Amino acid sequence: MRARVVAGGVVSSIAVLVIGWQLGGQPAVTAPAQQSTTSGSGTTGTGTGTSGSGSTGTSGSGSTGTSGSGSTGTGTSGNAAGGSSASGTFAGDTAQTQYGPVQVQITVANGKITDVTALQLTDQGGRSVQISQQAAPILRQEALQAQSAQIQSVSGATYTSEGYTTSLQSAIDKAGL
Amino acid sequence: MIDTARPAHRPEPRDGDDRVRAAAPPAEPLDVAARRRRRAGRRRSAVADLLGILAWVSAAVAVTLWLASPGSHAVSGIGGWLTDAGIVAGLVATDLVLVMLVLAARVPLIDRTFGQDNAIAVHRSLGKPVLYLLLAHGALLTLGYGASAHTGPIAETIALFSTPDMPLAYLGLGLFLAVVVSSLVAVRRRLPYEAWHVIHLLSYAAVLVALPHMLSVGSVLAHGTWQRVYWIAAYVLALGLIALYRFALPVVVTFRHRIRVVGVEPIAPGVVSIHLAGRDLDRLGARGGQYGVWRFWTARTWWHAHPVSFSAVPGRDRARITVRDLGAGSARLGRITPGAFVSLEGPYGLFTSRARTAPSLALVASGIGITPVRALLEDTDLRPGEATVLLRGSDADQQYLWHEVADLAATTGSRLYAMVGHRARSRETWMTEEDVRRGVTLRSVFPDLLRSDLYVCGPRAWSDLVVRDARLAGVPEHQIHQERFES
Repeated sequence: MRARVVAGGVVSSIAVLVIGWQLGGQPAVTAPAQQSTTSGSGTTGTGTGTSGSGSTGTSGSGSTGTSGSGSTGTGTSGNAAGGSSASGTFAGDTAQTQYGPVQVQITVANGKITDVTALQLTDQGGRSVQISQQAAPILRQEALQAQSAQIQSVSGATYTSEGYTTSLQSAIDKAGL
Repeated sequence: MIDTARPAHRPEPRDGDDRVRAAAPPAEPLDVAARRRRRAGRRRSAVADLLGILAWVSAAVAVTLWLASPGSHAVSGIGGWLTDAGIVAGLVATDLVLVMLVLAARVPLIDRTFGQDNAIAVHRSLGKPVLYLLLAHGALLTLGYGASAHTGPIAETIALFSTPDMPLAYLGLGLFLAVVVSSLVAVRRRLPYEAWHVIHLLSYAAVLVALPHMLSVGSVLAHGTWQRVYWIAAYVLALGLIALYRFALPVVVTFRHRIRVVGVEPIAPGVVSIHLAGRDLDRLGARGGQYGVWRFWTARTWWHAHPVSFSAVPGRDRARITVRDLGAGSARLGRITPGAFVSLEGPYGLFTSRARTAPSLALVASGIGITPVRALLEDTDLRPGEATVLLRGSDADQQYLWHEVADLAATTGSRLYAMVGHRARSRETWMTEEDVRRGVTLRSVFPDLLRSDLYVCGPRAWSDLVVRDARLAGVPEHQIHQERFES
């Protein structure tokens, strides 16, 4: 091949790659905007806590995303100090990831997370379904052990993990744990 | 040998017929013509470079599809790196496959710019790299997914097989493997052309069955992304060019011109001229030196397509090709009966006066390689002394059409030399022992060699040696024109 083609090809390819680099690499998960705190009033029996309805937010690194669709949790969230007496189920906000929305729901008994259920998992592309199905049980196990959203993300399922922890944190917030 | 001082079939010259122009030297002064050719040559090489750069850029765009997809800037972990390397390998490989399809599509722009034979040479050179990339794509993704999910490659492969569209993708990979392996020189030599060709046609199937998994399994080409739109458009473009120029156009040409065999004339042992009749053959646009891919629709020959040069510039209702029995298929051509229907793909090739860039013309032909050279000589506007022809044959039997060339040389005032005898054994050369001893060189045959366009046609190994000598003598690359007789 002639030198001119190679030189021209290399130079223009690099230009294209640089443009591609600039275009790309948006973060995977747009964090839900700050929620107004849960209400969960009442100290007895059952109550209905409604969290702030959908809000739009811009996340840190320059990408725009919509997140935090309204969610409801049923249960009680004690407003006593420490708030550790909440019971019931609380659905977290939906976190949008590149591979689809992720939403989890927690079951709380006496201020303790007893179960984490995935309501929605990344589902865009056959591969990402596979990933989220692999990751979900691991993430659930970690969450139950940690009793918080401070959990290790599953390698190879970064987006699912980030979406999972984001939604999990908002559910925990709602439960007032 | 039948003595046809002039091709018997040619119609009486009409006004504006090439024959008439060949007899009268062009009015355009030599230096003006040379400048015009240099300009055209520069334009052609600029277009060629542009197309080459476009191929590079298309590969870069394939990488960009991934770069611009979310997450490409935050690859982490060994599994992540393996996975993303695999994705990039797959994207680039597919892009190159599409480039290969376009190169084989016989697009007129590419044929006029590079010549179809050069396009196929590039096509061929891409085959193995593409296969390696595809194998790497499969291996890297399996390992990468496996590393992320903490499973072994075998378990991961089983998991992948149960993912929708993935069985088709494995089928595509298998087909590509078959196509490339069957095209390896060592394997191809042992395969009948038809077997190779049928396997090669599987590459269309391979390209198609590979598409679903790219769109559904991968995330780079996910729904609603511009990457997906671009990718599908690239597919449509490549397959569209194939459908148009490889299939539709030849059918149109064949039915428009309705070519039939009118006579088969043996001109030497194992060599026949096939005389053809058809409608408006002058409007085929065939230039002297071009070839067509011919198919003769008789019970014994329809399944074999023959790439054969025109051995004379087609007239309005007549054309002629000359064939040597190189394979089983061409041997049967001698037994074709008049009246047989002929389909034509083409004409193709840049072995024409259009490719000239220099003031003088040097033609070297050996054996059956004479056919395009003879037609080229007929189809070129020549001043006396402008062209020099060297004919090469190993014995008297190999002097096909030599008298026609002699006749054309006399008409145009071209010098004609002949070199007869087997190739020298003492060294690697295209000449005879005797001529090597006498000190013959390309420069001594063509004194004006450095200011000439050198056209070489003959057996591949032989013509490569002529070209090597020309390069050593300092002939610029753009003045060397070599016709490769390969599909």
